[in-house]
Amino acid sequence: MIQVESLNKRFGNIHAVRDVSLEIHPGQIFGLLGPNGAGKSTSISMMTGLIDADSGSVSLSGLNPQSKEARYKIGLIPQSIALYEELTATDNLSFFASLYDIPKNQLESRMEWALDFVGLKDRAGDRVSGFSGGMKRRLNLAASLLHDPDYIFMDEPTAGVDPQSRNKLFDNVLELKELGKTIIYTTHYMEEAQKLCDQVGIIDHGQLLALGTVGELLNQHGGETQISISSDQGVKEFKSNDVSNDLIQALQASDKVFDISVNRPDLEAVFLNLTGRQLRD
Amino acid sequence: MKKIVALMKKDIKLLFRDKMAVFFTFVFPLIFAFIFGSIFSGDSGGSKALKVAVVDLDQTEQSQQFVKSIEDADEFTVTLATEEKAKDLVRRGKRVAYFILPKGFGEDYKGIFTGSPPEVLVGIDPSRTAEAGYLEGSLMKLGTDRFEQAFSNPAAMTERLDASIAQIEESDDIPAEWKSLLGDYLPKMKELTQQEMGGDEDFSFGADGEANPMIPLKVTKQEEVVQRSGPKNAFSITIPQGVIWAIMGCVIGFAISLVQEKTLGTMNRLIVAPISRTQIVAGKALGCFMAQIAVVTLLFLVAYFILGVRFNLPKLVLAAVASGVCFVGLMMLFASLAKTERSVAGITNAFLLMMGMVGGAMIPLFIMPGWMQAISNFSPVKWAIVAFEGAIWRNFSYTEMMTPVLILLAIGVVAFILGTRMVKLEEA
Repeated sequence: MIQVESLNKRFGNIHAVRDVSLEIHPGQIFGLLGPNGAGKSTSISMMTGLIDADSGSVSLSGLNPQSKEARYKIGLIPQSIALYEELTATDNLSFFASLYDIPKNQLESRMEWALDFVGLKDRAGDRVSGFSGGMKRRLNLAASLLHDPDYIFMDEPTAGVDPQSRNKLFDNVLELKELGKTIIYTTHYMEEAQKLCDQVGIIDHGQLLALGTVGELLNQHGGETQISISSDQGVKEFKSNDVSNDLIQALQASDKVFDISVNRPDLEAVFLNLTGRQLRD
Repeated sequence: MKKIVALMKKDIKLLFRDKMAVFFTFVFPLIFAFIFGSIFSGDSGGSKALKVAVVDLDQTEQSQQFVKSIEDADEFTVTLATEEKAKDLVRRGKRVAYFILPKGFGEDYKGIFTGSPPEVLVGIDPSRTAEAGYLEGSLMKLGTDRFEQAFSNPAAMTERLDASIAQIEESDDIPAEWKSLLGDYLPKMKELTQQEMGGDEDFSFGADGEANPMIPLKVTKQEEVVQRSGPKNAFSITIPQGVIWAIMGCVIGFAISLVQEKTLGTMNRLIVAPISRTQIVAGKALGCFMAQIAVVTLLFLVAYFILGVRFNLPKLVLAAVASGVCFVGLMMLFASLAKTERSVAGITNAFLLMMGMVGGAMIPLFIMPGWMQAISNFSPVKWAIVAFEGAIWRNFSYTEMMTPVLILLAIGVVAFILGTRMVKLEEA
């Protein structure tokens, strides 16, 4: 379990993270959703022990994230491609593995597993500089999994990734969840959060505005569902809190229905309702 | 330790993957050493600030006057010394050459028309072969000046004619025909000179740059004395300079790579890994140190087997280790001062080029003005060159090696401590 209590961080006059508290349960995919500059990366940096918090605390299975013991449990996939481009995929993995005391007899198999996991086994001996953006992202993920961490922090892992690699990464995230890993996933793409995450925290200007499952957030902050029915009686548009009942009633009132459109609220709407602006503004 | 070694191996591997870095670290210094070594093997120009040691063993009025003329000359900065001290100063590179005025100098100096020309023994630092000709020319000029002075001074002329007449009369070596001829000629010459003494103040003989048939000085070089402790060839001088270029290449490369770890984000991986900040810094420092040792080894292997440079191995190791520590410290300091690759490259290049220029990595110290030579003491490059030269041709004792070695270690340790305290491994 990850417990974050009243976390604060300032950079000069900028209050990057304000009083953030949350709990992430083992085996969950937790999404931290917010626009660029919202405080997602700073929050992750404090949760992984990369930077010190001004105040507040973080514990990973009861451990300080900066403790040596906790570091074996953390896998960080940085926002940037944190790889040595002039080295081969194998050289990169071999180097990062060497930092985690992986026994020699397990090293080869761990590297092979990681490369296979991200679909780069056949490119093991190639230099990273020759990889596409998506392949680099996948190797970026592989480099963080060699030591079999319990907590995997993914900071915008799909930034600048082609659709094929993005889908592969989504599959990887879900596979990691099946392996029992706890995943903390930051993104400003609401579709990703909606598709992958068990629990989502919406953050803006360093403040955690809402926290819950996708369904909970939609129910609490998404607003009503927009329904549009085109029938022999014309086009009828209305908002609904009880879609099935309202739809049945509307259909019963019409003899001939040409088209039905149901627009359920999404996390974009949640963000709009919470902040008054679009997620990508 | 395994993790530090892993960090070091990764950096060395990265260095060798970058063809340009390999060129500037390993190949360029060799080219530099080879080209400049070839240039300095031939003749080249002189200097206006040649530091020489002068020994007056004759202690006559003439020898003292000649010493004064050397002191007054624009070309030289003179240190009066005993013979032993003068040789030691040259051997240790403190002076470019020594001049010894042997016993009998004054006697020969007076005998313009008879005897031998006054002899000056010149012990030249063989590393300054380019200046040997210049030194000889300057000495000849001084000799000629004195010669012309004698001819333009009738009283001195008369005195020297008397001395010559007396020497001819006493001499058994001069053939009778010559004795007779000079016995007729010199008294008449004296008579003519005495007549001139009363009237013409501008009396001169052979002045105004006219060709003078008489040799003003006999310059005897004593290179063999110094060569026993001096370099066998000019590459002994340019190899240390080349090594400095290589070391500077390593420093620039590793300072940039340390900053690059931050900008790329790989530093974040290192910080989050179960490895301490000290281990991260030590890994980077060890990488830089080992790269320097590798390049020093390569250059000296080439120097030994191809260029014929000889050295004292234990002292060379001492010089290499001290230089390594010094420049690793500087690398850390530079990396701590900058946030981007571009700025660290700018800072490091500017500082090292300046230190290289002042410290003798580009232009030998001896042709720099005195004030710049004084400034060179503040350049780690100078002490590194001195340490390497001490192991190659200066024949430094271990005690003498301690001066550059301790200075280099002190600079390295202070810079390393400052650098590691100031460096921010994590991104802001």
